[in-house]
Order: sequence, then structure tokens, then C-alpha cells
Amino acid sequence: MQLIDKLSILADAAKYDASCASSGAPKRSSEGKSGLGASDGMGICHSYTPDGRCVSLLKVLLTNFCLYDCQYCVNRRSSDVPRARFTPEEVVTLTLDFYRRNCVSGLFLSSGIIRSADYTMEQLIRVAKLLREDHEFRGYIHLKTIPEADPALIEEAGRYADRLSVNIELPTALSLQTLAPEKQLGSIKQAMQTIYTGVQTVLNEPRAPKFAPAGQSTQMIVGADDTDDSTILHSAQALYGDFRLRRVYYSAFSPIPNSPKSVPLAAPPLMREHRLYQADFLLRSYGFTAGELFKGPGHLALDMDPKLAWALENRAVFPLDLNRAEASLIARIPGIGLRTTERLVALRRQRRIRYEDLARMRCVLAKAKPFFITSDYHPQQAEVTSHLLYQQLRDRPQPQQMGLWG
Amino acid sequence: MIHLDCDDLFDTWRQQARRLLSHEIDPSLVSWASEGVIDLFASAEDLPEGHGPFQARIPLALLGILENAARYRGDQRWSLLYEVLWRVSHGDRTAMLAGDKLGSELQRRIKQVQREAHHLHAFVRFVERPADEGPQYVAWHEPAHDILHSASEHFIGRMGQRRWLIATPRDGVYYDGQQLIHQRQCPVQWQQMAQQVDDPHGELWLTYYSHIFNPARLNPKVMQGHLPARFWKNLPEGVLIPGLISQARTGKQQDGQASGIAGRAGKRIGQGSAEK
Repeated sequence: MQLIDKLSILADAAKYDASCASSGAPKRSSEGKSGLGASDGMGICHSYTPDGRCVSLLKVLLTNFCLYDCQYCVNRRSSDVPRARFTPEEVVTLTLDFYRRNCVSGLFLSSGIIRSADYTMEQLIRVAKLLREDHEFRGYIHLKTIPEADPALIEEAGRYADRLSVNIELPTALSLQTLAPEKQLGSIKQAMQTIYTGVQTVLNEPRAPKFAPAGQSTQMIVGADDTDDSTILHSAQALYGDFRLRRVYYSAFSPIPNSPKSVPLAAPPLMREHRLYQADFLLRSYGFTAGELFKGPGHLALDMDPKLAWALENRAVFPLDLNRAEASLIARIPGIGLRTTERLVALRRQRRIRYEDLARMRCVLAKAKPFFITSDYHPQQAEVTSHLLYQQLRDRPQPQQMGLWG
Repeated sequence: MIHLDCDDLFDTWRQQARRLLSHEIDPSLVSWASEGVIDLFASAEDLPEGHGPFQARIPLALLGILENAARYRGDQRWSLLYEVLWRVSHGDRTAMLAGDKLGSELQRRIKQVQREAHHLHAFVRFVERPADEGPQYVAWHEPAHDILHSASEHFIGRMGQRRWLIATPRDGVYYDGQQLIHQRQCPVQWQQMAQQVDDPHGELWLTYYSHIFNPARLNPKVMQGHLPARFWKNLPEGVLIPGLISQARTGKQQDGQASGIAGRAGKRIGQGSAEK
């Protein structure tokens, strides 16, 4: 099979992995050196596909032959898809070619499970090793880790890769049992623990060989079964806490050709995935906990962002005086982000904050208005009930014309 | 009214601004030409001779901020900077902050400049040339602001000892393996080299681009926000975009597979035999 045919099959097979980040790597440069590539901690999105997703890395599978039969996966063994397999050298050639063209900042390599978990993992490591050692490649490498592989292999992978990831796949052990019978939550968490330990071991040892300096991430599939957002985010929160994950990616289940009966035929609304990312951001950067966002089981509101929804549930906190409130609380005002918060704090060191300052800072005033006070502004809406505010502030979808064929 | 031309060079502007400030000349009395366009109502009054008595004190960070903002191509390119300098040196530091009217315009310009530098890092596409003495890799790029020189240093770390060239309609840079050479007027020869290069192996990237796209998640608005249409014409994948969008729309695509893959014969795997 021609390289270009393999590429078309194995890129198509890899598109369901949401992560494409190339950030968090240490500073490396090829200035004045042989070899190729640099990294500086900042990711670069070299292109965007019409689905709005960034292309930062060459994201391919080494092979889409797979022994497993995960129901949500297009590459499961019972799936009727064309199959292909790259040699490690072919992946190296493609990575270097795309990198020199400035089309990507590195490689994200994953694979179906062939022969055994260890064998598959060895193949992935071989690609990274060829790139790093034979070609002195200093760009970004993200390797998918096969959870059942020998911990010694995972440790080896960590020496070549900037990021390792083990997919948690589904948020509960029960869903995993139903939809991915060959996978076990135990071994997935074991692999995460191995990576976590590896990262921690070299953390304060500047001379130690690097170990996955951009940390680890994982992916959860959303909408392949009926797990609710509350369970998903509580489980994400536990992962952030237990293994110091850099990111949890949420991938809305994408219906696949010849879909088995065990998974839905339709995708969940993309808005659900979007709301999960928003809530996840609140967990990682705004100091929210999953327990604050959910009073019990259930989903996030689709017609309102989670910060606004939280604010409406917690009116006692508001309105906040922007000239006095703590920065961490200002960041909890709907429509005011971390950047605006920083700017407000910088400005109020110089003078008092006025209403018109907010308009200039590009925050979402319509959302923020009921929740803050400035020296020249007190919200009329402060007394309005949350229910009424909800009616005013929720997103109203544009009316859509129905398709001719339904 | 004093009318000045700094030839769109920051250092020249800086000398002029220092002189003006030392004589405490109000920003409303000065204007600068930009891109060779002279103010219609400018009269020929000159920069005052020698340094005046006013000792301006400005925070160190301001100089970097002004230099960054100076890369922005647009109205009032230089007089805006002088106004900021004037206010800060007269004790009003809010002129640097986004909360202020002038400061927010200043910060907006800096943001646009940074964004444009990032666009260069992301959207430059190098094509390999046949081996000779000249550049091994060439690219054509059309930045909206004057970021080429400062932002292209990024590629020195990336490309190592390779020789590369980026040509634009205005300026150009060439890295000869040792140093970065910047030409304010891009030599015609460079422009031709960058625009008339053959790319026999370009198909691989195009194949990748169209297969990593998930047509079931079509969202062209988000894409355009990140990848403005003005860059499409210089990106090899740019020509594919309209086709991929319309195909995904008309196909009423329910799953993520590219049409080229769906049409091919598949292979189910028996248990215990997933080895080619």
C-alpha cells in the first residue's frame, strides 16, 4: 500500500481523539545545532479544519488493526473499515516532512492494540526513539499509552515523549464494562499512577533525565451512554486531584459507520461538549469545585454557561463591588474572565473603577451587569429574581430551517 | 503644527519624540506621516533645535510597550504613541492600561501585533527547493503588520542549520544558516523564489488535512475565527476548505468518516488474529 493511502486511513482513524495540544513542553532549540525542531512551552495551531478544530500535531494511528472491541470506536475489531499499518520509519518520515513545512509542531501517535499491549507500546516507543535519537528531533511528541503495557515500557516512553496520555474512555467502571469489555478501570488508573510517579520523581531534580515534561492528559467520551455531566465532572475532578492531569478532554461521541446497537445512532449536542469544557475550565482555573456546580445528579444547562448558572443559584454572593472584592471572587462574576479580572485589579491600583471601564475591557456586559457594583453604578437588576434573570439571560437558539429530508 | 516623518522606523520616531517631549510640545501640535502619506493640513514647521529643559521620567516597561505597538499598521500609528508617552511622562500611567480610552487602543494594537506574529509562526508554509547555494526552504506570507523581522527569529530555533527565506509584498528575511538578514524592501528575486517554487510532495499534507477533518462536526464559523480567510490563498490546504465544507453540508453527514474511506473495502478482524 502506498504511503499516501496509509496516511488517509490512519489519519481518518485518529480523528476521534480530541487532544491536539502542543503546549507545556520545555524550552528546546535547534539554533546552531544539527537536528530539527524547537519547543517553547506555547502550543501553535498551524491550521484549522472546517470542524473548527486546531491542527497542531500530526495525529495518526500507527495501525488501526485492533484486537479490542470497544463499542464506541470506529477501529474496533468487528468494525468494517479499511485497515492499514505504518512502519515506524514511515511515521518518522511524515513527521519530519510536515514539521519542515511548518504544518505541524510535532507528533501525536496512538495505535490499535496488535499482538499484545507490550508489543504495541514498544512500537510506539520506537517511533519516538527514532525521532529523538536518530534525527535529533526537538519538536513535540505526544504518545498514547497502552494501559496494560509493562510499567517499564511506560517509563521508557516518558523519556522520549513530552506528553503521555491514557484514555479513561468512559467516566465509570460500569460503562467501561458494558462498552469496552477488554479495558479495565484498574489498569487505566495503574498506568496513570505510573506516569504520575515518573513525573513526580524528576520534579525537583534538574539533572535527572526529563520525564513527560508536559504531563499527562486523558480523554472521556461523552454521550456514548447515559452517564450524566455531574458524574463526568466529579470523575474529572478526581483525576485532576489524584494524578495531577494537565487536561481532561471531552469527546462528544461521534456516530460511526456500521454502528453497533450498544451505542446511540446520533451524536449528543455539540453544545454539551462545549459546556463540559467550560465547566472543566472553571475547575482548573477559577477555583470552582464540581460540588459547587451540581447540587445533585444531572446535566449542565445547555442554554446557559455554567458560571452564569452558578451565579443565579448563588445570588447572596452578588452584587460584588469591583473596587473592593477579592480577585478570586471578581473572576466568579459571569461575563468577566481571568484576564479582565487582572486588568481590573491593575486599574484599581491607579484609580477607582467606573462602569464605562468594563465596556472597554471587552467583557460580556449583558451577563455581568446584574452582578457587580462600581463607584458610579448599582445594578437595578440586583433585586430581580433569579428566575426572571434566567429568562432574560439564557441563550435562545436561532430558529433553524428543517432539512428537506428531515 | 509640527509635521514629521520617521520613515516608519521606531528608532527614528523615538529620537523625534524625545526631542518633542523635552520641549513639552503638546501631542495636539504634532503629526506623523505613515506609509509615506503626509497629513493634508500639515504646515512645514520643524522639530525644535536641540534638547529642551523638560526631563521626562517613564517606566522602563513603557519603551517595550511602545515598540510593540509601533509594529501596528494603521491610522495615527505614531501620534498615538506620542500621546501615550506624553501622558505617562506627565504622571498619568492609566494611559498604558486597558481600562483607559487611549490605553485600551494601545493594548488593542499590541494584541493585534502579537496575534499577527502568532499567525506568522502558525501559517508560514515552507517549500523545499532544489539544492543550490541559496535558501533550502522558501515561504510567501502576507502579514498585516510589521512583524516579520522580529517574529521570524522563531524559525531559527525550529529549522536549525537549514537556510530559509520568507518573502512578503513589503519586506523579506533570509536565514543563511548563521544569521538572519532583513531587507525592508524584499528583493524581487526573493519574491520570485518564494512564489514560483514547485512542490512535488505537497499531496501528503493535503491528504492529511482532509482526513483529519470530522465532517459530522462541521463548524466553519469557529474555523474562520481562528484561521481568517485572508490567509487561505497562501495556505496549500486553503483550496480544499470550500469543498470540504460543502461536501459535509450536502452529504447530511451523520458520521465522521471521510467519504474516500467509506467507499473502500473494509476488514473485520477475527479474535486473536489482529496481526497483519
